[in-house]
Amino acid sequence: MVAAKKHVPIVKKHKTRFARHQSDRFDRVDASWRKPKGIDGRVRRRFRGTIRMPKIGYGSNKKTRFLTPSGHKAFLVHNVKDLELLLMHNRTHAAEIASAVSSRKRIDIISRAKQIGVKVTNAKAKVTTEV
Amino acid sequence: MAATLPNISSDLIWEVVRSNNSYLHKTGARSNGGIQLSRDPLNLTNKHSRKYAGFVNDKAVGIVANEKGGVVVISKKAAAAAQPAKSVAKTTIGGGKSTRKTYKAVASQVAKTGYRADLRAAAVERVSAIRRSQLPVKADPEPKLRGKKAKAAAAGES
Repeated sequence: MVAAKKHVPIVKKHKTRFARHQSDRFDRVDASWRKPKGIDGRVRRRFRGTIRMPKIGYGSNKKTRFLTPSGHKAFLVHNVKDLELLLMHNRTHAAEIASAVSSRKRIDIISRAKQIGVKVTNAKAKVTTEV
Repeated sequence: MAATLPNISSDLIWEVVRSNNSYLHKTGARSNGGIQLSRDPLNLTNKHSRKYAGFVNDKAVGIVANEKGGVVVISKKAAAAAQPAKSVAKTTIGGGKSTRKTYKAVASQVAKTGYRADLRAAAVERVSAIRRSQLPVKADPEPKLRGKKAKAAAAGES
């Protein structure tokens, strides 16, 4: 496996997910983000001590967007043929084996990835067994 | 394909096939920014781009692994473009040759003769990647046991 190309440090400006206002108080209010629209909404009016709302400023640097902590971008592969595409891109992209691929075929993909120096993000999935 | 009809330019072919063709492998823009790769054997970097699209250009170079070690250099013959069976020339550079000499041979074939001088670096890089992939694979190191398992292993030994 080859280490990823050098890149600018990855900065995440907001690490936790943005939870919908009052989703912590009511089971019927799901955590997925909805912008508060009410006329009196404290969160909407950005009062002190209220939760932060997502905005474009929280976006990642274009250069580090989609990067995994290892510095690679994930590239979904379904078979060895897909993996061969990464021969010249093993410093920028890592293979991610699709969820529907069987353990028998995963072994082929992983062994070929080792030969061509491609990192596999989920190399242990479905292949290793718990003792 | 490009020159089967002599009055059709590579540029026109590219405009037609750049959005979709059988070699093209697109990924979703939301998963990794949407990289576009190409499976074309005549593409040295596997990138989907005008420069490297071998099936579009009249002259193109491809490098693939030879089954018995070494590399095979494929190049297109501009004169025989209308005869697909004859339109590619294959040169095998065996695995017995040193990697540096392989670079030299590939570079002189691709660039020095004035065939596609712009592809020299890409060709050498690809040879390098293929030769490295033909090296024997190192076995994974034994995982170090931690916690309870390490204690059990230490107790079993003594």
